[in-house]
Amino acid sequence: MLEEALEHLVKGIVDHPDDVTVDLLTSRRGKTLEVRVHPDDLGKVIGRGGRTAKALRQVMTGVGGRGLRVDVVDTDGR
Amino acid sequence: MTSPQHQPGTDPGPGDSLVTAEATSGAVLSPAPAPSSDAGPPVLPDADAGSDDALVEPVETEPVRARGAAGRADEDLLVREGDVAGDYLERLLDILDVDGDIDLDVEGDRASVAIVGGGLDDLIGPDGATLEALQELTRLAVAQSTGVRSRLMLDIGEFRARRRADLTALAGATARRVADSRQPERLAPMNPFERKVVHDVVAAVAGVRSESEGEEPNRRVVVLPDQ
Repeated sequence: MLEEALEHLVKGIVDHPDDVTVDLLTSRRGKTLEVRVHPDDLGKVIGRGGRTAKALRQVMTGVGGRGLRVDVVDTDGR
Repeated sequence: MTSPQHQPGTDPGPGDSLVTAEATSGAVLSPAPAPSSDAGPPVLPDADAGSDDALVEPVETEPVRARGAAGRADEDLLVREGDVAGDYLERLLDILDVDGDIDLDVEGDRASVAIVGGGLDDLIGPDGATLEALQELTRLAVAQSTGVRSRLMLDIGEFRARRRADLTALAGATARRVADSRQPERLAPMNPFERKVVHDVVAAVAGVRSESEGEEPNRRVVVLPDQ
């Protein structure tokens, strides 16, 4: 549910929605949602001064709990 | 199944939205770009930069008047903004299995979107922080779809409506006090929405005026006696 929610939120704000993937990783330290987007969309997902990434984090911790992390993975360096 | 129809949108924008827009937008006094200007690439980057405050601030000191003329013609766009926002949020509620109805409206020159119902506290967050974040994302989704930057207002569980009522009372009491004492008073830091509510109330009280001072997130309203 959390992956799907984040995936939806991100897909709506990028140029390449089909390239959006979200993985939920669980470790002892808690849950992390890893977001991957098309390299050209990286700026959109991060936003000016990280503003959009911060908004995504705020919403996801709001619905998923404080311990939930959201990482935007920079896939540009493949 | 997770792709609402609005996604690919009509957006003309180039990808690197991080760079441009911000430096200049602070000086822009006019309302959001007219929809007719969609030939120009700068539209979308600006939307993404989300320099919300830059657009809100001028309105604060010049309540209502600054817009009006330019805003009216764009009602169709505002209705469309509401539709896109409604789809975006409705789908989110579905995924989260949250009950809530979505009300769409146009208030003045902005699309107004409200999620109503009970059990919405997680979407409002402490002091409305999650609500603000969701509004930000919804504006971006709308801009992505329409190609035009959005200033839509989102409310959830009547949070803003209640906040507006509280602030209206606070601003009224402060304005009357300042009118009597002739001593300026500084209010607590507020977000742009909250400051606008205060400015509008103060503007209607004789003998006082208001300004904003400081930088986000500590920007606050000062209520001053007229000279």
